[in-house]
Amino acid sequence: MMAGGKSSAMFRPRTVGEAVEMLAAAHESGTAVALLGGGTDLVPALRSGERSAETVVALRRVLELRVRGAGADSLTIGAGVTYTDLDGWSLSPGLARAARVVGSVQIRNTGTVGGALGSARPGGDLLTFLTAADAEVLTVSPRGPERMPLPRFLADGLAPDALVTAVRLARPGGPQVYLKIGGRQAAYPAVVSCAVLVDRVRHRLTCAIGGVGLLPVRMGEAERYARDEVDWSTGTVSSSAARRFGDLVVEAAARVSPALPAGPRGSAEYRWHAAGVLAGRAFARCLHLTAPPVGEPARGSAAGGQP
Amino acid sequence: MGGEVVSGGIGRSVRRPDGPDKVSGAFPYAGDLRVPGMLQARTLRSPHPRARIGRIDTAAARRLPGVAAVVTAADVPGVATYGLIVADQPVFAATEVRYAGEPVAAVAAVDAATARRALAAIEVDYEPLRPSTDPERVLAADAEPLHPAGNLFREIDIRHGEPGVDGPVVVEDHYVVGMQDQAFLAPEAALVSPAADGGVDLRVATQWLHSDREQLAACLGIPENLVRLTLAGVGGAFGGREDVTVQIHGALLARAAGAPVRIAYDRVESFLGHPHRHPARMWFRHTATADGELVSVQARLVMDGGAYASSSPAVLANAVTHAAGPYRVPHARLHGVVVRTNNPPCGAMRGFGVPQVTIGHEAQMDRLADALGLDPVELRARNAVRPGDVLPTGQVLGAPLPARELIQLVAARPLPPPPAADVTGLARPGGLPAAAEPGRVRRGVGYALAYKNLLFSEGMDDSSAARVRLDLTDDGTPRVRVHSACAEVGQGFVTIAGQIARTELGVEQVDLAPADTAVGSAGSTSASRQTWMSGGAVRGACVAVADRLLARVARAAGLPAEVVEAPRRTLRIAAGEIVGVEAGLRVRLADALAEGPIEADYTFHHRRTTALGADGQGDPHVAFAGAAHRAVVDVDIDLGLVRVVSMALAQDCGTVLNPLSLRGQVEGGTAQGLGLALMEELVTVDGVVTNPNFHDYLLPTIADVPDLDFVAVTEPQPDAPYGVKGVGEAPTCTAAPAIVAAIRAAVGRDLRRVPVRPQDLVDLPTRADVHTAGDASTA
Repeated sequence: MMAGGKSSAMFRPRTVGEAVEMLAAAHESGTAVALLGGGTDLVPALRSGERSAETVVALRRVLELRVRGAGADSLTIGAGVTYTDLDGWSLSPGLARAARVVGSVQIRNTGTVGGALGSARPGGDLLTFLTAADAEVLTVSPRGPERMPLPRFLADGLAPDALVTAVRLARPGGPQVYLKIGGRQAAYPAVVSCAVLVDRVRHRLTCAIGGVGLLPVRMGEAERYARDEVDWSTGTVSSSAARRFGDLVVEAAARVSPALPAGPRGSAEYRWHAAGVLAGRAFARCLHLTAPPVGEPARGSAAGGQP
Repeated sequence: MGGEVVSGGIGRSVRRPDGPDKVSGAFPYAGDLRVPGMLQARTLRSPHPRARIGRIDTAAARRLPGVAAVVTAADVPGVATYGLIVADQPVFAATEVRYAGEPVAAVAAVDAATARRALAAIEVDYEPLRPSTDPERVLAADAEPLHPAGNLFREIDIRHGEPGVDGPVVVEDHYVVGMQDQAFLAPEAALVSPAADGGVDLRVATQWLHSDREQLAACLGIPENLVRLTLAGVGGAFGGREDVTVQIHGALLARAAGAPVRIAYDRVESFLGHPHRHPARMWFRHTATADGELVSVQARLVMDGGAYASSSPAVLANAVTHAAGPYRVPHARLHGVVVRTNNPPCGAMRGFGVPQVTIGHEAQMDRLADALGLDPVELRARNAVRPGDVLPTGQVLGAPLPARELIQLVAARPLPPPPAADVTGLARPGGLPAAAEPGRVRRGVGYALAYKNLLFSEGMDDSSAARVRLDLTDDGTPRVRVHSACAEVGQGFVTIAGQIARTELGVEQVDLAPADTAVGSAGSTSASRQTWMSGGAVRGACVAVADRLLARVARAAGLPAEVVEAPRRTLRIAAGEIVGVEAGLRVRLADALAEGPIEADYTFHHRRTTALGADGQGDPHVAFAGAAHRAVVDVDIDLGLVRVVSMALAQDCGTVLNPLSLRGQVEGGTAQGLGLALMEELVTVDGVVTNPNFHDYLLPTIADVPDLDFVAVTEPQPDAPYGVKGVGEAPTCTAAPAIVAAIRAAVGRDLRRVPVRPQDLVDLPTRADVHTAGDASTA
């Protein structure tokens, strides 16, 4: 394959079993192996020399990875499912919305769920959504299949002889919103992202923020505040609660450790602020806001610090 | 001449011949060129912004199988340095590196992966030194010189009128412009082949073949006639290909290896490899009468040239001479320096020093309008320069320059409808994913007026040569062949050359020969100059060919000697014929050419200008083009996100040779100015670029750039062929300040920095705020 230089070999397994055998063989022989999904991260990295691989295992022909399905309580999305496949998926409107704003149409046509997990870019749109969704990652290795919570997967990384086969999350139990900003009108990597998922059945709201830590972070305190503040019988909440929710997110974002190192786009303070605004907006979109008590402004900035 | 019946002449929207291939992906850019046996080159660059080099050991790299050549400073046979204006930049750093990304060595190998391994095998002992990255400190008396030539590239001090005369209304402030990159889409590339005669042949994407040749020959230590360049497909330039990048390294490698070498940058290397737009720190003080007549303008500019000179001295001259803008200013003191630092080198970029000062003088005009309670359009119209006015340099402004008309025209364009609550998410600031709330979006309208000099300035005779040959094809059809070294970088010479030849010679078939160094220099494709200069050269050569042909016909027809001497008075070319009504003569072009082809060379010169003398006085600029933009923006006031809703442009274009091509230039110039206003900035930390990729260096996309409402003012420019003006740069100068003004109007904040960042438009929590709030909430 051209991108990896003359010495690389490309394998194109047709089943997960074959893929794992190839990975195991490569691992045993000590060859550097790379998994190729949509190639949106790997191909540029190979071209620039940032990564090198003697063996590339291309997964597109593994049809079982390209399946998405629904069980009674959960959704399972194969690692080979593309963002375009997810866009418009009625069973998971929130995920569909997150997938729809990834990169450009070309990226969405080729980039996969497995790649989002494998590359684990901190600004990755799907990662923020899956963090809020309490997703589990399914892998297969010569030791058999394994299933682990997303945070553990992200902390431990993928074993060199293992393959992500799918990601699993609960079926939506209420509104789900994914928002992000990033410096232009479209086709941008997120500077700050926010996912809010409401579970009307379990009386639960979850919120993850991307762009303040090395990986997306759950906003535990804001989630607990929401749980107590929302009227779960009607799904309503006071509009001042949306502001407070945003303020709590700003405070939590500022405390994230380790913080994402300063980058060329957006100061740390701006990213905290934006996290609060996006969280306040997402919160308001997921819940019915009731009129504020007398004396409160109808709608305020979600920035912290105001009385 | 009799071009009226030939299609595809001047004034027509002739389509680019390379258009379909570029759109479909078939166009061969320089980086797409391949030849059998070709080697792949890579360049080793310094990771340090400043370091002493102890030792460079290439032995291990040379021993690697597949490595054909490794070159360093020790392998440069000729002059060790190069540069557009002064040769102060080493081909490879030898003893000291002065910016992060400076080339130290290059290798050629059988493939890119081997070349990369070879780079990793080169050992360089760097002793890092403390970089000087603050342009305001490098001129201090105790500042260390960063180069034997010192830290000052140039200083200009223009004194105009009387010192100390002020009006009663004063506005004064500091402004900062960040480092924009040309960010052309096809990275630098050349294919270099060693020749049997000891010379070297290059196919390269560049803006100026003959300047490349001169610098190549000097560094290779061989005569210029042994260095032959042919233009390869160029994917954008915007000034970023005016400096040498891949050329000398590729030639050294090809000669060392004795084999053709492809040297092509990837995106990161492109961002590090060419000079950028100068960042600027500017102070302005404007004073006016209570009626809103400008009395005085003071400006102090500090431009950061980075580690090497590139075109810094000329950029500064543009910045300082344009610092007061296209306004009548009785008294001015305009001072500027461009300095050396350990930041990346800066040089030519579309607008060439003018976009920076336009940010300053236009913000000042708006603030002056506020202070006076005047409409910003009215203040500009009242003070706009008119032909015959004396500019701060003492230069008398030539006609046409309809500055007043431009700002009034653009202000009269219909405004877009107000923001509707039901607009789709994509039409809100931040697009679909930001979910701006309509109730938290504010609209603003802003204006900018500027002028930009055309062609090279300060006494430069940047002439352009062209050769035109008129002959018959094998089937006996007349054909024109135009040969010019004009680099087509997207500006449209590929259509203009043919349009001119058709108009002058009445021949439909025009072939444009590849641009190369087998013909005289056409000068640089920059400074809005090629349609005027190389267009003028093509026209001059066509006229000479026509004169010879007419003389031939007159002679053959036995017409009197005075007709043969000046045949144009009697004969003309029309519809493929030579017609002399009085002489009763009618000869088919094909018959007149049966005797043999006719060829002529012509070199076009613009009017002479003068260097800036004492007090910055002189006649430095050939001519100017004016532009005025109106921007309408929507701002999400919670997130500080900006969407440009509409842009209107009125521009002083001279005679329009190709309306479609003009449209492309002004739309592109507007988009590039929009990028400068809102997003395009190379961010350096201690001299190191932190975002050399399209992930973090954002360019406007089609979702960011609204349709352009464009009005061309077409008063012809005297002395220019057909009355043309260059059109590519002026709109780049006005788009950014108009957008900044619109944002200022929307949010009610003075904006002193470009690009405007979201964080500049909102109140941010401080670390202390947040921690106090956090403590309170947990208490």
